[in-house]
This record gives sequence, C-alpha cells and structure tokens, in this order.
Amino acid sequence: MILAFDWTQLAQQVVIGLASGGVWATLAVALVLIYRSTGVINFAQGEMAMFSTFIAWSLVDHGLSYWAAFFLTIGISFAGGVAVERAVIRPVERAPVLTVVIVTLGLFFVVNGAARWIWSPETRSLPNAFSTRPIDVAGVAFSISDLGTIAVSLAAVALLWLFFRYTKLGLASRAAAVNPDASRLVGVRVSWMLALGWGLAAAMGAVSGMLTAPALASFDQNLMQPVLLYAFAGAVLGGIDSALGAVVGSLLLGVLINLIGTYVDWVGTDLRLPVALAVILGVLLVRPAGLFGRPLESRV
Amino acid sequence: MARAKHLILFALGALALATVASGAASETGVTPTTVTIGGTTPLSGPASAYQSVAKGAAAYFRYVNAKGGVNKRKITYIYKDDGYDPSKTADATRELVQQDKVFAIFNSLGTDQNLATRAYLNALKVPQLFTASGATTFGRDYKKYPWTIGYQPNYRAEGTIYGRYVVKHTPKVRIGVLYQNDDYGKDLLAGLQRGLGAKAGLVKSKQSYNVDDPDVQSQIARLKAAKVNTLMVFATPKFAIQAYVYARKLAWRPVVYMNAVSSAANIMGLSTAATSKKQTEGTLSIVFLKDPTDPSWRKDAGMKLYRSIMKKYKGGDPNDVYAVYGMSVAHTFVEALKKAGKNPTRAGIMKAADSLNIRNDPFLLPGIAVKTGAGDHFPLDQAKMQRYHDGHWVAFGGLFRVR
Amino acid sequence: MRSRAPGIALRLLVAAVVLVAYLVVPHFISDFHSRELAGAGVFFIAIVGLNLLTGYTGQISLGHGALMAVGGYTTAALVVHEHWRDVWTIPLAGVAAGIVGFLIGLPALRLSGLYLALATFAFAVAIPSLLKKFSGLTGGSQGLRLLEDAPLQVTGLSGTVTIFGHSLTQNHFLYYLTWGLGLLGFLIAWLVVRGRAGRTCRAVRDSEVAAASAGVDLAWTKTLAFALSGVYAGVAGSLLAIQVEIVNPLSFTFLLSILLLVGAVVGGLGSLGGMIVGALFVQYLPQLSTHVSTAQGVPDFVFGAAIIVVMLLLPTGVGGLLRRVARPLTTRLYLRP
Repeated sequence: MILAFDWTQLAQQVVIGLASGGVWATLAVALVLIYRSTGVINFAQGEMAMFSTFIAWSLVDHGLSYWAAFFLTIGISFAGGVAVERAVIRPVERAPVLTVVIVTLGLFFVVNGAARWIWSPETRSLPNAFSTRPIDVAGVAFSISDLGTIAVSLAAVALLWLFFRYTKLGLASRAAAVNPDASRLVGVRVSWMLALGWGLAAAMGAVSGMLTAPALASFDQNLMQPVLLYAFAGAVLGGIDSALGAVVGSLLLGVLINLIGTYVDWVGTDLRLPVALAVILGVLLVRPAGLFGRPLESRV
Repeated sequence: MARAKHLILFALGALALATVASGAASETGVTPTTVTIGGTTPLSGPASAYQSVAKGAAAYFRYVNAKGGVNKRKITYIYKDDGYDPSKTADATRELVQQDKVFAIFNSLGTDQNLATRAYLNALKVPQLFTASGATTFGRDYKKYPWTIGYQPNYRAEGTIYGRYVVKHTPKVRIGVLYQNDDYGKDLLAGLQRGLGAKAGLVKSKQSYNVDDPDVQSQIARLKAAKVNTLMVFATPKFAIQAYVYARKLAWRPVVYMNAVSSAANIMGLSTAATSKKQTEGTLSIVFLKDPTDPSWRKDAGMKLYRSIMKKYKGGDPNDVYAVYGMSVAHTFVEALKKAGKNPTRAGIMKAADSLNIRNDPFLLPGIAVKTGAGDHFPLDQAKMQRYHDGHWVAFGGLFRVR
Repeated sequence: MRSRAPGIALRLLVAAVVLVAYLVVPHFISDFHSRELAGAGVFFIAIVGLNLLTGYTGQISLGHGALMAVGGYTTAALVVHEHWRDVWTIPLAGVAAGIVGFLIGLPALRLSGLYLALATFAFAVAIPSLLKKFSGLTGGSQGLRLLEDAPLQVTGLSGTVTIFGHSLTQNHFLYYLTWGLGLLGFLIAWLVVRGRAGRTCRAVRDSEVAAASAGVDLAWTKTLAFALSGVYAGVAGSLLAIQVEIVNPLSFTFLLSILLLVGAVVGGLGSLGGMIVGALFVQYLPQLSTHVSTAQGVPDFVFGAAIIVVMLLLPTGVGGLLRRVARPLTTRLYLRP
C-alpha cells in the first residue's frame, strides 16, 4: 500500500484543495468584515455576493468590457451594502444580537428571491478575470486563475490592513467597533462606521462572487449557498475577527476536506464536510478563539 | 403481513369510495364545466427552478381551455409549493385531496416527494398521474399501487443504455463514474452496471458528490488518477459543466457520456465555451424531448406551437427545457382525459392512462409514442442516441426502448 | 404581596381560556385546517424548547432541526423496523433527542457565542449526510415511509380514531394530540422557568462570570438546558413523522433549524406566550407568500421581507410587545394603591 503511494496524486489534491479554499476565502473575508463592524454573522453575505455577480453578468451582457463591469459592480455593491445597512440594520442596532441575525436571515430570502425574480433561473457563465489555461508542474496541474484567486484574497487582506491601520477613516471605524461610546465622545460617527463596514463587506462579497462564478464554471441563483457554509467554517477556524485568519482557515479547510475525501475510504465524499467540521470543532476546543483570533475577555 | 396490509388498504379504499358515492352522482373534482387537478412543485427554495415543469403544463392547459377545453370542461390545475421537502408534499397533497377536492394528483415533482404520498393516494384511490420523477418504481410497481403511473424515461434504464452501448461498441475501455449521492445518481449507476452485465469490471472508479458541495474538482482528479478514459457524468448541470472544465484543467480528455438531465444544448454550449470544442467533442447522450435551445428545431411546427403557447399563456422562459417537458405531460393528460369519456371518473382516467397510444405529441422527438398497455406502465420509454459534434447535437441510430 | 392573589386568579383565567380554546377550535374550522394547526403545534413544541435554551440560558443553537430529525427518525425506525404503534414512540423519541442534545451541549462547556453556534451548525449540516450514510436504519436518501411499510401501526389509518368511545377524524386526532402535548410542554417549561432552575439559567444568560461566582455550575446548567431543549425537539420531530407518515433527509435540512430560530425570535426570546405566534408565523408565512404571487422568486422575497418587517417593528419579538403591553396593564389593575 505504502509502496504504491502516488505522491503526485497527493500533491494534486493539496493544490486542488488550495484552489477551492481560495474561492471560499474571498467570502470568508467578507464575513469577517461584517463581524468586526456589527458583531454578527451575516447570513445574507453569500446571497449579496450572488446578486452582485448577476449585476456583473448583466453589465457584461449589455456590452461592457469585463474589467469595466468588474469595477462598476464593486462600486454598486459598496453602495448597496451601505444602503442595506441604513435601511434594515440601523433600526435594530440596539436590539439583541439575535434580532440582527434574524434580519440577515430575512435578507437572505429577500436577496435570493429578488435575484430569481429579476433574472430567470437558467444556468449562466461569467468570463474569468484570469487565464484558465492549464499549467503543469511535475504532473500537478493548476491554472493561473487558481493563483489569482488566492492572490486577490491576500491582497484584499493587505489592503484592509493598511486601510484600518493607516487611514483616518479606518482608525475611526476600528474605534467605533471596539468602543462605540468612547468613539462617539471623540466625534466618530459610529453609526456610519457600521455602514462603512457593510459597504466594504458587500464590495468584498462582489469580488468573491465574480471570482467564484468562473471558478465553479457556471452560476445560477444558488451560487453562493454551498460556498457560504465553507466560508463560515473557514472563517471560524481562522478566528472570526481576523481577515488573515479567514484566508488561512479557508485554505486549510479546502486541503483538509480533499485529503479526507481522497484517503479515508469510509468517509469518502459523502461525509467529508461533517468530518471536516468535527476537526474544526476539535481545534476550537483547544483554541477557543480560532487559529488567529483574539480570545474574548468577559466583563462582569 | 403483506396480505393484512392489502386488506387494510382495501378497507380504507372502500370507505373512501362509500363517502364519495353517497355525495353525488358526479366524480370528485368534476363538474359539467370544469375538471380540477392538482400537484406539488417547489415554488420556493433552492430547487425552485424545477417549477418550470408545472408552469409549462399550466400554460398548455390555458391553451386547451381557450380552445374550448375537453368535452366542454375547462381544466383547472392547482399547483402548490412544497419547497422540495417531502413532508410538505405530504401536507400539500392532503390539502389538494381533502380541501380542494381534486379529481387527480398530476405531475407532482420529485421522487421522494411522490413516494411520500403514494400509499396515501392509493389507499383513497385517488389517481397519482404522471409523476415527474425518473424512478423506476412508479412504472414497475403498478400491481401494488394501481393508482400511480409515471411518465418520463427512468434513470436506471438510461444507465443501462450507456452500459449496453459501451459493451457493443467499445468493450475495452476503462470507465469512471461521477454521480450524485442520492437515488437519482445511484439509479443511473445501477443501470450502467446492469447494462455492462458481465463487463461490469470495466468500471474502475466511482466518485460521488453531494448536491450541496461547491465543486467536484477533487473527484475529477481522482477519476483521472484512476486512469479511466471513458467518463460517465450522472450529475446535474452545474456539476456536469464542472466535469468538463476541471478535466480540461488536468489536461484530460476522456470520452464523456452525459446524462439527459444535463445534456440541453445551452448547457453543452456553456461547457464548450468554458473549455474548447475538442473537450466536448464526441460526448454521447440520449434524447427524447425537443430541446428549445437546439437551433435545429427552430422551424419545427411543434416547437413553433410551443413558443407561441409560452408567449401567449405566460409559461415563463421559453428556453427552459423543463417547460417543454411540462407541456408534453400536459398534452398526455389532455389525451387521457379525452379518452376517459364524457363523464370521466377516477377509475376511468386510470384506465385511460393505462392504455395510451399517443403518436402526435408535438413536443417529443418525431416518432416517439406515448404508449401504455397491459404490463407496460411506462408512458414515455423511447429515446435516441445523440453525439455532440462541432458544437451541436446530432442524433443517430433508430429509436429504442428505455426500460 | 397584595398583587399576588389577583395574579393567580388572572393566570387561572388565562389557563381556562386556553384550555377551552384548545378543545373547541377544531369545531370552527375545516377538517384540513385542524391538520394545519397540528403542523403549527410541531413548530410550537420545538420553539418552546429552543427558547428554553436560547432565550433563558443564552446558548444559541443552529442545530435544532437536526434534533428534530433524531426524534422523527426514532419514531419512524421503531414503527417501520420494530412495528411499534406510532404514538407510543413519542416518549422514546424525546429521550433519544434529549441524549443527543446533551452530547451537543458538551462543547458548550468550553465554547461560547459564535463558536458554540458553529458546533450546533456542524451538527445541522452533518445530519442529512449521516442519515444517508446509515441507510440500513434510516432508509438512506429515500427515508422511511410509515404508511407504506407499516400501515397497521399508523393511528387513524381508517380516517377516524376512537378514544374512550369518542370517534374523531384523523386530522382532529392529530390536532388534539399535538397541541395536547404542546400545552403540557408549555406548562413544564413555565414551571421550569419560574422555578429555581429558571433563575439559574437566566443568571448564566445574563452574566456567566457573575453566575459562577454565585455558585452556579455553568457547565452542568448549559448541558442540561441543551438536553431538555433536545427532548422538546425530539417530541416535535416525532409528531411531525406521525403527521406526515414519512421521514426523509430533505425534511431536516439546515433551513429547518433556521426556521425554528426565526420562529423563536419572532415569538420573542425569553417569553413563552409569544411562542404561539412564532409557531403560527413559521407555519403559515411560507404558504401565504405563495398566495401573493407564484412568479419565480416572489414567495421567497415576500417571506424574507415579512421577517425583516416584523423584526424592525418588534425588535424583541411578540413576547417583548406582550411584556410592554401587559406590564403597565397589570400594574394599573393591581398595583395602584
């Protein structure tokens, strides 16, 4: 058994795991952004990203060039995210956390329903931002677009880090998330900072959708539902308040799932998600705040 | 035990019949001017794209009603949402029977969904007509469930055809299978193995996926690693397209057998656009419906009728092959209702559905007959092979039985 | 002290009204509608259980649909494989889900908040796959069918059920059974909540540190809350299986867990009375949404919009509204000098 071990196969499955994980990472970063600003998991994050993808598709369909559509969609999505926050999140800002969670669940259905209502449910495709030409290194195949996807999520993490660390706006929004009352005293418009968080998350979601749709080869209104599950798991593994953690967590999850599916026969493909989640749970029991997360201190 | 079960079901049926008979002379759901039928379909949730089947059927009924109906009766078709959840199907079907008092259950969508209500409907002797499911049981088990009849070619039979074709034409290949981890995928796989018969050892690798998985990249790599050169894709469109795309990424070009669920021209077009003409070239599949996205039917009278009905009676997106299926099954119901006579009864419509011979269904491939009879409870069981060549499907060979 | 006696009288009055309503409602609606109400009763039981956990102990569960699956499959397996009479399986279904609830509660010993949500979420996502994997017991992706495989064990097979000489239709029977158990469960929940155990739970919810320093065994309290909540979900799942006479993995997806959470929050966490509204909300809203229009996507849109609107109008749910309305009322009636 050991003698016949196929190292190329192992390497190939690891690379594929990274490629899949890279796709989930983009959405995981968006989840982290909302979590940091509002303190909730936005269940509608995937659907908002899907909606953005449809907008991009419509723009391309109307003859816009790919990159024009790409950046226009990011802009529209940012505005959309801010608008959603203003319209439905702000009124429940002071309500219990679960109320906000339920509002995002409601948004999930609203956004999905709207996308079905506006665009017919047929399967579509979106052009890829990167080349999909296969590359072969020592029998292990991958494509430029796999690398590109991971690079985009890492670049987003870097940009966000710079933004939150070095710009006035970024600092203000961090302050607003950490200590709203004190921030208000020094003149930060806390409520708008939350809206900014939603806008950024929606923009990040748009990037995620536009990368996910070509990576999964086609898309319809169900595009992001499976992805959201994995992105959530990846983000929690990495530590829900860390963008870098979300990327690393998603990549790890992708590799883990593929290796379990390939090498643990009894688990096969049908149980690989439950087993992966069990592993994550094990990690959390040892490190309750995730790999990169900061442990919460509770106040009396 | 089995006998006791049947006695009980019989007693139950007798009771139901007695209550019906004491009510009025006419049949439940039938008035001098209307016939009311109903079914379930997902109108909400992730599976709601399937509702096009019901909408296509509804459009066809509106068209028939506008032309005067059947024996001066208009057909009222109520379709209720079940969100693809069999528990909800059970409730919604009871609502149709108990509250809406339908004449028959028609065209309910999904295997598990129809199984969830079969015993109930048979106990009450309510016809369960033309189930929208590819499971064999709806045609095969008519002795136990005489009030149930299926419609479309079943998945097991489709798999069998591919198996037989391989044995006959390419008996030395190495086969890999990508299948969905549920009854649909497993039925196709079982059929393939039946068709291969003694050559079942040709299958070198079987990889499953769950319908809520994001991608099948890992599975495709494992199939390639097993050195297969013939790939059976028993998967829904999203994963079927991925099979081509990820195979290309691995610089792998097997001969593909594509299940009919994902062989529509627009899906194949997406696969070709995402890969290359070489990647999809030579793919094999079966076909029985006219594909609205296939340009070769553009001037066909049946498809012109289809498009005009879709437009005038608001059937939805005309490029949706599910709508064509819905129209075909509605066409069959209308023929069965005509056959059931001036005063249709539930027993009468079952008798009609069990002795169909429709040769002019405009939505099916020319030559295909919707036929049932003693011992044959598979209305639609003919198909043709087709091969993907230079960006479009070419049918070849004669019609054969899918059973 | 002065307000105590009238308080009891008021409670007795409410109890009497509820009991009378329970008995007479089926006579004012169609036979099928009592079946629909029975469906709402299933949600009611599960949501009351979820509220004990989330509303009173502060532990979020995204996996209650999976606990319902445990109950439903226990019932179906006992009926189909062991030929038990369907209604007699209900207690065992409750116990089975209670044990599983206890086990899910174990990670809660170490995890809190979001991370606990992930643990319960993992369970919810895993259940459909596990049900398919162990197909010998569960029937795999086809599930189990009670009426088809064990018709003699199904209560109300002939369309009527006779209890103590009274004959009622199957739908009425399901209504009385479900809501009977629902009211019993409600009573137990009410006793738990207002008793010592309830105070302990609320202490854990409001501040774990404070509760611990007051001598509350945090781990034990949380795990027990999970177990008790699991019993409710198990009974609800069992009743669902009895009502629809099948179980199938497609009926216990993550969506069900989410619906239960929506019901509990709309009803108002930390309020038991509001749960009736929460249950009716999740039972009837999806149907009402398809009445608006059956065009692609519209039912989902309307459903989601209704959830949002309710949350914006009643951020603390119906329970919060009841508290706001009722408190000044009782204050005015009884506490005025």
